[in-house]
Amino acid sequence: MVRDVVVVGGGHAGCEAAAAAARMGATVALVTLHRETIAQMPCNPAIGGIGKGHLVAELDALGGLQGWAADRAGLQFKVLNASRGPAVWGPRAQCDKARYSEIMRRVLGRLPRLEVVEGEVVGLLVGAGGVTGVRLAGGGRLRARTVILTTGTFLGGLLHRGAEREPGGRFGERPSLGLGAELAGLGLELRRFKTGTPPRLARRSLDLDGLQAQGGDEPPRPFSWRSRGVRNRVVCWLTRTPELVQTIIEDNLHRSPLFAGAIAGVGPRYCPSIEDKVVRFPHHRQHTVFLEPEGLDSESIYVNGLSTSLPRDVQEAVVRAVPGLERAQFLRYGYAVEYDVVAPHQVGRDLAVQSVPGLALAGQLLGTSGYEEAAALGWLAGVNAVLGGRGEAPWLAGRERAYLGVMVDDLVGREHVEPYRMFTSRAEHRLLLGIDSARQRLMADGVRLGLVRESVFHVERRRWRARERARETLEATAVTPDRGTRETLRELAGIELRAPTSWAGLLRRQDLDVDGLAARAPALSDLEPEDRRIVVGLLRYDGYLARHRREAARVERLRSVAIPAGWEPHRIPGLSREVVEQLERHRPRTLAEAERLPGMTPAALAILAGRIAREGAGG
Amino acid sequence: METAFSSGWSSALVGGADTIVARATPAGRGGLAVIRISGPDARGVAAALCPEVDLEVGWVARLGTLRDREGARLDRVVVTSFPGPRSYTGEDMVEISVHGSPWLVARALEAAVAAGARPAAPGEFTRRAVANGKLDLVQAEAVNDLVRAQTAWQARLARSQLEGVLSKRFAVLRDGLVAVLAEIEGALDFAPHDIAYRADEVRRGVDEARAEIAALVATAAAGRRVREGLRLAILGPRNSGKSTLFNLLVGRERAIVSPHPGTTRDVVEAEVEIGGVAVVLQDTAGVGDAADPVEAEGMRRARGAAAEADAVLLLWPADGSRPQPEEAGFGRPAVAIRSKWDLAAGSVEDGWLAVSCSTGEGVDALRRALEAVVASEVADLGGEVAVSERHRAALERASAELEGAEVARPELAAEAVRAALESLAELTGEVASEEVLDRVFATFCIGK
Repeated sequence: MVRDVVVVGGGHAGCEAAAAAARMGATVALVTLHRETIAQMPCNPAIGGIGKGHLVAELDALGGLQGWAADRAGLQFKVLNASRGPAVWGPRAQCDKARYSEIMRRVLGRLPRLEVVEGEVVGLLVGAGGVTGVRLAGGGRLRARTVILTTGTFLGGLLHRGAEREPGGRFGERPSLGLGAELAGLGLELRRFKTGTPPRLARRSLDLDGLQAQGGDEPPRPFSWRSRGVRNRVVCWLTRTPELVQTIIEDNLHRSPLFAGAIAGVGPRYCPSIEDKVVRFPHHRQHTVFLEPEGLDSESIYVNGLSTSLPRDVQEAVVRAVPGLERAQFLRYGYAVEYDVVAPHQVGRDLAVQSVPGLALAGQLLGTSGYEEAAALGWLAGVNAVLGGRGEAPWLAGRERAYLGVMVDDLVGREHVEPYRMFTSRAEHRLLLGIDSARQRLMADGVRLGLVRESVFHVERRRWRARERARETLEATAVTPDRGTRETLRELAGIELRAPTSWAGLLRRQDLDVDGLAARAPALSDLEPEDRRIVVGLLRYDGYLARHRREAARVERLRSVAIPAGWEPHRIPGLSREVVEQLERHRPRTLAEAERLPGMTPAALAILAGRIAREGAGG
Repeated sequence: METAFSSGWSSALVGGADTIVARATPAGRGGLAVIRISGPDARGVAAALCPEVDLEVGWVARLGTLRDREGARLDRVVVTSFPGPRSYTGEDMVEISVHGSPWLVARALEAAVAAGARPAAPGEFTRRAVANGKLDLVQAEAVNDLVRAQTAWQARLARSQLEGVLSKRFAVLRDGLVAVLAEIEGALDFAPHDIAYRADEVRRGVDEARAEIAALVATAAAGRRVREGLRLAILGPRNSGKSTLFNLLVGRERAIVSPHPGTTRDVVEAEVEIGGVAVVLQDTAGVGDAADPVEAEGMRRARGAAAEADAVLLLWPADGSRPQPEEAGFGRPAVAIRSKWDLAAGSVEDGWLAVSCSTGEGVDALRRALEAVVASEVADLGGEVAVSERHRAALERASAELEGAEVARPELAAEAVRAALESLAELTGEVASEEVLDRVFATFCIGK
């Protein structure tokens, strides 16, 4: 039997790839070493955050599973940057790890056409036309039109802790050794990256009473349109490393595999280990540590902020120097993992490997870090495998339309020296890409792909149309300077209303307590509290939003432009050699196709568009 | 905490895949002419022209024989090979010095084209230097300014700009704004990690950048005066001797003289050099009561020229008459002169210079006074940098963006700073669109 898609790896990328493909009607096999390790969270027990939460929101609007599963497994919900405008709100949920995995296994198990296969992929089946399937340990074979590799950190994985070294993909699991060599044999360029995880401590051994407790938002905000209500069930705790920690680490730096030179892989700058932090920021005397439960019934506490690969005795000394952790018992020690990634410029924006038909990649294997980045890429690879199989154009998003588009564009078009993590600062059209607009931007595509029910779309559309109407009303109605309103404004904002003004004008100028004002502004009082803040927040973005929308429309128009046949890319001044090579090799017929090429930059695309416009005008 | 940004734009400007050729010296007859070849096959093309010269060794001048496309001997020439990237364009380059006959040069260019080179477009060599990171756009402009320099000040300004003095100020300005953006983005993307948003820091950075932009923009007027010439209008009543003085200054200063054609009723201009600065001297129709509509129009133009000039030379006869209040220099720095002093008696009033064009009396004092006015008008250059019109426009766009920065709302402050950075990047060519480049290089002569 030849399946449409075989997904190798049951992590966050693999789950989304397999689920999206199966739900679009493809026959899918998901190959994983053990059924129980599907959708694990091997590092922090949380989904979302700033940038990452944006990806989860987009994936949810497109019919992905991660946000919904995080809602079901969620223990504490918080929107980061809530005091800022809607563009940078970053929803995050602490999750029960075991439950998250269980939910995902259950969903995958129920999907028709999706079969979970327990086994180890030891190689690829390669024919004249590209990859035709995978070889399993023990001699089995699975044939497929498209193979999606989502092997995470397992490719050539090597775990480090002090002088201890052990081949492994993550704690207690064997790495995949043959597959990497096989990819290299197909001519793919590999790189070595590194990441790490902190120790896990036994909750009963910690003295949490004296520490600062951190609860979730009330009311909690779910990620998904599928979720009705969610509840905060746990608190986390905050503590700080004392100066002693700096001394302990400095004294033992020679025993760190990072600094002793044992680790060749490059780790992420933005997620540094505690030994990294001590070396790079010696003037910071203290480092914040969050203590996060890994499950509702779990004894395990994740020590966020103390990622380390120091030897066990040093880890113990460091942890026990921290207030509240003096008698901490270790359930697991921190470690670093080095692994191979495929340099991502070798895939197109549909995540298909350019030089090997039938093969696509997603997740950490492509050099990203984080569950959210992996899930979003997995979804994209799964959807495009199905569309490609039908002979349809791939699903792509531009940088102006989605964080998913920014991420793919960055991965494919730029050089990367460290694992890629999503940040809002990577999105130049950030104001257009807030979580408030994710459904508006993407849900119609989810419906078209068959991953979101149309009825849901209509419900959501009513919601954003209500926001638009409220906005129009605020523009059109003047603030009545009656006594009650004047008093309210004086109390809430300390302003004296003298001349009449529109509500919109007032809200743009002043930081007012929106809920307090709602009673006076009828347009706001009909909205949900979150929608009120969105409407007002967007009013304040007005001038900038208009500019970004113009730019987004310009880029969108670019995509529809045809490139004349018989073009000589090397004659176009201003293009980099790399872009010229790509254009000559692939001969795109439209700017949309050109944009899909690896190494293509927005600047190069603009140059091409300018050239076409001029040649067209001149005949 | 470090933050990684990406604006989504990158500089994708690399040189051409083909080899270009042009004469680098002016057209016409001369002692020598230099032919420049640049590109991946520069040495191959040069070898076709001068087959026996060793081009593998760089930066050494060698004697050789220049041959035409049929291989016939044309000239004894000096050939210098500049292997890339240590060349002007950053590519492989060869320069051939031939005797400066237009016929010889034409044959040599023909042979180069026959060997596979393409005639260069104006400014294309410098454009490639920019593309290969040898120069930034601001320095490239200075190359053009230097080539066109006609006065000491023009050369001095162009040289300092070419050496990167102005580029460095732009770079410092840019780095300051990148630091501001890092401050904002760090607080937005790392909010859970105890990184507070320091609005006061952002305000300080934005204000510093705006002050620096204002300082740079303030040099624009001086920059224009140096590049285009400081405009000095002579204003006075009919028969006060304006044209005599004009001819005297134009003749005496021995600068480039190019009087524009025009009637005596119109404004007549000539370019002279005063104190190392190019000056456009303007002779105008006499002011007073107009006899006819044509004369009235001439007077209107005279007043207009004076009103737009950088400085005014007031020329009134030694008969006690004075300019009307509205004519007294138009708020510009002015030098007031009593003319035809040889015909007058008595002493000159305070603030007036006594000059006689026929005896030459007072002319040296007048020249010193003019030099002082000119020097004071370019003094705000600080001797270092002056921005051009293109720079000024980009700087003012950046400043306007920063002025609107809503520091209290970090994601909006970031928008303003990013937009300002885009304007600055356009300035240095870091993210130059093809249109910007076309505009900058359009004024170049071929061979540069």
